[in-house]
Amino acid sequence: MNFFIRTRKRLSKFLNAFFKKRQSRIGIYGPPNAGKTTLSNRIVRDWTGDALGPVSEIPHETRRARRKEGITISNQNGNTVTIDIVDTPGVTTKIDYQEFIEYGMEKDDAIKRAREATEGVAEAMHWLREDIDGVIYMLDATLDPFTQVNIMLVGIIESRDLPVIIVANKIDLPDASASAIRKAFPQHPVIPVSGLEGNNMEELYEKMLEYFG
Amino acid sequence: MAHKCTQCGREFEDGSNVILKGCPSCGGKKFLFISPQDMHKDVLEEKSIKQIAEETKEQFLEIKEDKKRPETAHTSNQVEMYDRIESITVINPGSYEINLEKLAESDELVIRMGSDDRYMVDIHSMGKISKSKSKSKKKSNKRR
Repeated sequence: MNFFIRTRKRLSKFLNAFFKKRQSRIGIYGPPNAGKTTLSNRIVRDWTGDALGPVSEIPHETRRARRKEGITISNQNGNTVTIDIVDTPGVTTKIDYQEFIEYGMEKDDAIKRAREATEGVAEAMHWLREDIDGVIYMLDATLDPFTQVNIMLVGIIESRDLPVIIVANKIDLPDASASAIRKAFPQHPVIPVSGLEGNNMEELYEKMLEYFG
Repeated sequence: MAHKCTQCGREFEDGSNVILKGCPSCGGKKFLFISPQDMHKDVLEEKSIKQIAEETKEQFLEIKEDKKRPETAHTSNQVEMYDRIESITVINPGSYEINLEKLAESDELVIRMGSDDRYMVDIHSMGKISKSKSKSKKKSNKRR
């Protein structure tokens, strides 16, 4: 009897792999410490009650891409979209273990963190190339958006014709400026939010329904 | 909005990637956001770019170089960054420079060790057939 159950399970898994409609995979990209994991956690918690990963003030806390599948977002009009959220490591062009030492880490741990973070960037770029259907690009609204990494990465995303929503995060902080980000990327929708406080998430969800639905 | 070099006045299309390396004509790093109707005001109305900027009140786009850690930057090689073949440079154990454009192109890894030109080529990564390539092959087969 056991044999039949096992075979049936295996068969349904096999068939699922073939016939299950693949959901849109939405990557959350951006420089380190923009609040990608905080936002991912908020989205996942809002719609499934779960969480995705730990957050930290030390950059490169997320060094492996984390995925949460089957998140269904809906609005009052009855529109729904089911997506997979991929929280990616922060993308940068330079990683130096000295930076982590300044946060009080031991040298060995800092070097290990730098190596993992470098692998993480490569992994994030791999996902972007192979497996992402849409992008939420996160920026810290208290910082200057005109950095080489931001311009280059948004350019790479555009060249792949992926739909992109730019999120100006940390608007709960006094020196945040969403308008500076709007000026930097006038070709894309910019949604100001606070991932930490949960401000203005409804507008982001509406935009996600519109863009990724 | 197009861009106009504040040094020599050369114009660039909206979203042009060329200006990331600085203006190809004069090497200028500062560009004015400019609308198409104001584009030729500097020549037609004999105004300086500064005057146009004051009139239109548009912002400047300045290409900044990362000055945070000058000791790790190869200043002499900085210009060639876009032509580099390596995807990752290991400056020291724990200090890395990552070439995002190379990584965005493929998984093939060429790693440069230190500031002198020593390279490691990850042949294993080059032997893999990428999913997108196999997908596009399938698609083109179907079309036939």
